[in-house]
Amino acid sequence: MTKEYEKPTETFRPNNKKNAEETRAYAGSLSTTGRLMSYNDQLKESLKRGIYFTKVLDELINTDDKNILLESVMTLTDYRLDTAYLIFPQQYSRADYYLIFLNRLLQLHQNEQVILQSSDHQNELYHEFPGINMEGYFTFKIDENMREGAYYVDKSTGARLFYINFKRQLIRFNSQALTDLLVVDYSEKFDYKTVKRFETYLVAIGKYFKEDYGFDVDFNLLDASNNASYQISSADEPREALDKLFIISADAGYMLVAGESGRAVLQLKNNVVVSILRQAEHDDLNNASWVIKVQDEGHKVAWFDILYKYEFIKDWYLDNLTSLAIKSDERFF
Amino acid sequence: MANPNQLSLSDHKQATKSLTKALLDKVAYLESFEKAVQDQDDRLVYQLIDGKRYATEILKQDGAEVDDTHEHLVRDSYAKISDYLSKNLIDYLCEMYPFFYFEETAIGQYQFFFGNWWGRRLFGTLDVLKVKFNFDETEYQKLARAFALESENKRLNSDQIALLSQQSDELQELIDGQNERDQRKDELRQEIKRTSQEKVMPWEASKLKESKQKLIDELSYLSELDEKAGNAYRQIRENEEKILALSKEDTLMSYEKQSIVAKFGSFENFEAHNAALYRNYIADLIAKQK
Repeated sequence: MTKEYEKPTETFRPNNKKNAEETRAYAGSLSTTGRLMSYNDQLKESLKRGIYFTKVLDELINTDDKNILLESVMTLTDYRLDTAYLIFPQQYSRADYYLIFLNRLLQLHQNEQVILQSSDHQNELYHEFPGINMEGYFTFKIDENMREGAYYVDKSTGARLFYINFKRQLIRFNSQALTDLLVVDYSEKFDYKTVKRFETYLVAIGKYFKEDYGFDVDFNLLDASNNASYQISSADEPREALDKLFIISADAGYMLVAGESGRAVLQLKNNVVVSILRQAEHDDLNNASWVIKVQDEGHKVAWFDILYKYEFIKDWYLDNLTSLAIKSDERFF
Repeated sequence: MANPNQLSLSDHKQATKSLTKALLDKVAYLESFEKAVQDQDDRLVYQLIDGKRYATEILKQDGAEVDDTHEHLVRDSYAKISDYLSKNLIDYLCEMYPFFYFEETAIGQYQFFFGNWWGRRLFGTLDVLKVKFNFDETEYQKLARAFALESENKRLNSDQIALLSQQSDELQELIDGQNERDQRKDELRQEIKRTSQEKVMPWEASKLKESKQKLIDELSYLSELDEKAGNAYRQIRENEEKILALSKEDTLMSYEKQSIVAKFGSFENFEAHNAALYRNYIADLIAKQK
């Protein structure tokens, strides 16, 4: 769609003496009139480019069609508005369009929980989440290695909550950042309700991309499905950590039980069951890894919720991160 | 016609009769055994494999009068008998001892775990024919001690854990004191240097030497502490591992104790029940037959 604007531009520098002398050499092939016409053409081209941009921006702002919305943001985040002939001094950044897009998408789902703010100081847009307020300042950060991808970042802590890539159609949540920010940091500052609302907002984003656009979304520790296996980074059996869990569970009034084929099972309130087990990847027994699973009746409880609701499990998880940390997609984190 | 050349030959007729009786007795024993199995009469099977015990413990009779001459006939089938009897016995045990979890290791042979919790202990084997637990002696003694310590309000490993924690605290202090020690060592070295250069009257020389020695002693004492501090991290880590193992054992033990108290009220009752297991089980079989 942007191809037509990628014609090589001929440089015209009327005030440059040196060039003026050089041009005299092929004055025969390009007359003054010819040069003037060419300049005019380039200007028209640049203006057209600008006009087209505003059309796409209109779409981003106004369309009710989710597919057009996605197309518009993909165009805008990959658009070079300036040319050698025309420069627009006031522009939004690529990262800003990601934010605008998110708000539009949430709006189309009647679920716009996050406020799009404008920072005059930083000269950029950012997300503010009601309840978390000034403690959170969320923007997108373009992936320098892969320009078509971007991270949703809390700017003050640098926590990269998820990665999104429009071309590859994928979203990856980051277990470490979510643990650091939501479980450790926010748990001290906010009540569960507020943080849960923020978490639900993040999950909604992933869900919309999955359902509206067929993105491949890894929710990581936010995945509440009973089928979700939270893969542990370390390949070793977390034997010592499990022994510790056995002891502190007993202190907290719960019993860690020996389940079938060496799994450890912890029955919590409301029929929520946490298991830690070795699970084969794609039925390949030689290629097995340790995983945490959370089972509940309504597919509503994720590992995140367990960490939040059970102090002793949270302490245990954070104290034993070397053997328990949940893996994120290594290509992006 | 008796052969007159032979002095005393037994009566062949008599011999035939006697052998026939012996064989018929065996057949009768095996037949009743077979019938007991057909009838699923486990009580009778127990009586047939050990009549003396059955008489003394169940019938309260003198076991010496019991004819047990045929019991050896089935000895080579013990594994099969055990396999057969285990079904009802284990059903009974699972009800009476809900915290024991049985696992078949070979035909008719069982071991059992205490509990279904994480890290549960292998607690012994089951002798199906004798209706008897063969407890793992070490594990059983630990449990007995844990019960005994209850009156002192202590867990089995409380003392050891306290000792290790204290040791770790001291080692941590040693590590934390490194800066202070380094500072003091610098001071000492300078002091020693100063003392060496000091010129004194001959009659003061021995006193000076003495105070210098004191400084040197302190310096070497501090270096000793440094060395200890150097190993402290490893030692603390080792202590942590030991404490973890000990706390785990204490937790296991507290579950075991809770289970026993919940079912039997006390360890004594548990032991009494174990001792009377054969009698209780046969009594249960009799009760069910009626």
